Amino acid sequence: MRSTKGERTFYLFNYILLTLAGILCLLPLLHLASLSLSGKNAVLSGFVSLWPKEITFESYRLLFQGTPILQSFGNSVLITVVGVAMSMIVTICAAYPLARREFYGRRWISLAIVFTMLFTGGLIPTYLVVSSLGLVNTYGALWLPALVSTYNMMIMRSFFENIPEELVEAARIDGSGEWRLLVRIVLPLSLPVLATIGLFYGVYYWNSFFNVMIYINSPEKLNLTVLIQQMVRSQSVLQEINAMDTQQAVNITPEGIKAAGIMVMIIPMLVVYPLLQRYFVKGVTIGAIKG
Amino acid sequence: MKANPAKEVRLQKNAPSRARHFWQTQRFKTNMPLWLMFVPVIIFYLVFKYAPMAGLVIAFKNYTFYEGIWGSQWVGFDNFQMLFTQAQSLQIIRNTLLLSVLSVVVAFPFPIILAIMLNEARKKWFQRTVQTLVYLPHFFSWVIVGGLVVTIFAQTGIVNVLLERLTGQSFAFLFHEGSWVAIFLGSGIWKDAGFSAIIYLAALTSIDPSLYEASSIDGAGKWKQIRHITLPGIAPTIVIMLILAMGRVMEVGFDQVYVLQNSIVSGISEVISTYIYAIGLQGGQFSLTAALGLFESLVAFVLVLITNAVARRFGKGLW
Repeated sequence: MRSTKGERTFYLFNYILLTLAGILCLLPLLHLASLSLSGKNAVLSGFVSLWPKEITFESYRLLFQGTPILQSFGNSVLITVVGVAMSMIVTICAAYPLARREFYGRRWISLAIVFTMLFTGGLIPTYLVVSSLGLVNTYGALWLPALVSTYNMMIMRSFFENIPEELVEAARIDGSGEWRLLVRIVLPLSLPVLATIGLFYGVYYWNSFFNVMIYINSPEKLNLTVLIQQMVRSQSVLQEINAMDTQQAVNITPEGIKAAGIMVMIIPMLVVYPLLQRYFVKGVTIGAIKG
Repeated sequence: MKANPAKEVRLQKNAPSRARHFWQTQRFKTNMPLWLMFVPVIIFYLVFKYAPMAGLVIAFKNYTFYEGIWGSQWVGFDNFQMLFTQAQSLQIIRNTLLLSVLSVVVAFPFPIILAIMLNEARKKWFQRTVQTLVYLPHFFSWVIVGGLVVTIFAQTGIVNVLLERLTGQSFAFLFHEGSWVAIFLGSGIWKDAGFSAIIYLAALTSIDPSLYEASSIDGAGKWKQIRHITLPGIAPTIVIMLILAMGRVMEVGFDQVYVLQNSIVSGISEVISTYIYAIGLQGGQFSLTAALGLFESLVAFVLVLITNAVARRFGKGLW
């Protein structure tokens, strides 16, 4: 069908607006990257917009030498890897039985679990529970209260529910026990949803901020997010750098170092994201359709 | 699992008649491992979800560390009374409601418009690229987005540099209440509109394309089509998203406010979550902030119930 004039203007408008939207998401990142790579005079004079001027890697060098950024990066990785592993195991242990129709008490348990999404005890009581378990200032306080996200669990459950009953029967007739059924048959069939939920948890643990702030006290245990936040908002970290290396620091501004810090947080995301983003889309659409 | 009725009947009939005891039935044999698997889950929900609910009792007590939860003195509604008569806490509740209602209302149309636009993009590669770009910010932590905002809108940031070149003056964006709120809302949209758009996109693809064809044969232009086919087609999704958003109305996220707030705009930027953090955890006033938290949870709960009842009237509830 040939498009009418009205339709063609609509499409043109559409493309322009969408391009603007896409650019809008890109510009701040470009600006920040340029700031992190620019020399002192350029940053101070405000000439840096989308491309670095007087390109220098000093900001990054000072960042890595003067702050515990590598250590907190490692902490973030540890928190994420262990957290995702633990959460995935327990979430599967929750979603799978709830997906089986013969599971005794299925309806009441589902109700009790959904209720926790509507009403919570709040921050203070949860904090008291965690501290009474002796978990303050340990990573257990980050992993244990977050073992199961009910939202993620329900996505997994509806996926499991869609596995045809015939497969289960066939395996049962072949003499398979329940564990084997889960591990050998259901899980391999569920790789897409497992990948998606694993990524959801990964993003959650990697970006942990509030939890780390309230539960972790020792500076060497902080994760990347909290460290960078401290650096951006307070001056103390930067003063340490200045004090340490005044000759080298001559060509650098605090803004440059802050920008470099934020870039260190952004870059792993940018690297990992294009590879994994279609799993996110799939997961969200599964979740949305099932409601 | 999808059930096959004939097989299920056959299996259930056979098993009990051959078994002597309950633990020999098929039902038990299937359920035992499932229950074993489920035990840690039960422990988790009891300890980390239901125990804190019981711990809310300290909202009615004067909690001190030494006396613990059970030993602390009962004070009834004193904490609530203190909360609702103190001007500061009333302002905080007002801020929370204001910021979250604004967030929902202002941000609501953007993902929908974005999804409709993406859906209308003819070239698939273009759609996919823009889509990827636009939901990237969702995966950034608020520390990143807050850092970006604070850098860009600083006194010496790029926006002020451009502003000075154009008008000769700079503006302290983050230190005036009005502009702070605008930046707060804008950053929320920037971060999450793309991601919410995916949900609407999924709903859009389920609309029957022949409806569009039929309408354009009848002479409907693009706008008419959007108003009469697209929007009604995704109406159920919109309603559900609204219900979910209402349930989170009291929950202005700690992360977003904390990274953007400063003492100068604290009149508008202090919300329930940051207040509980500052006064409760750092200030040690557990009972008072537990009371505030209870209030917050109750309001959210009631709101979800109400919104769902209203939606049910129109035939489209969550349950």
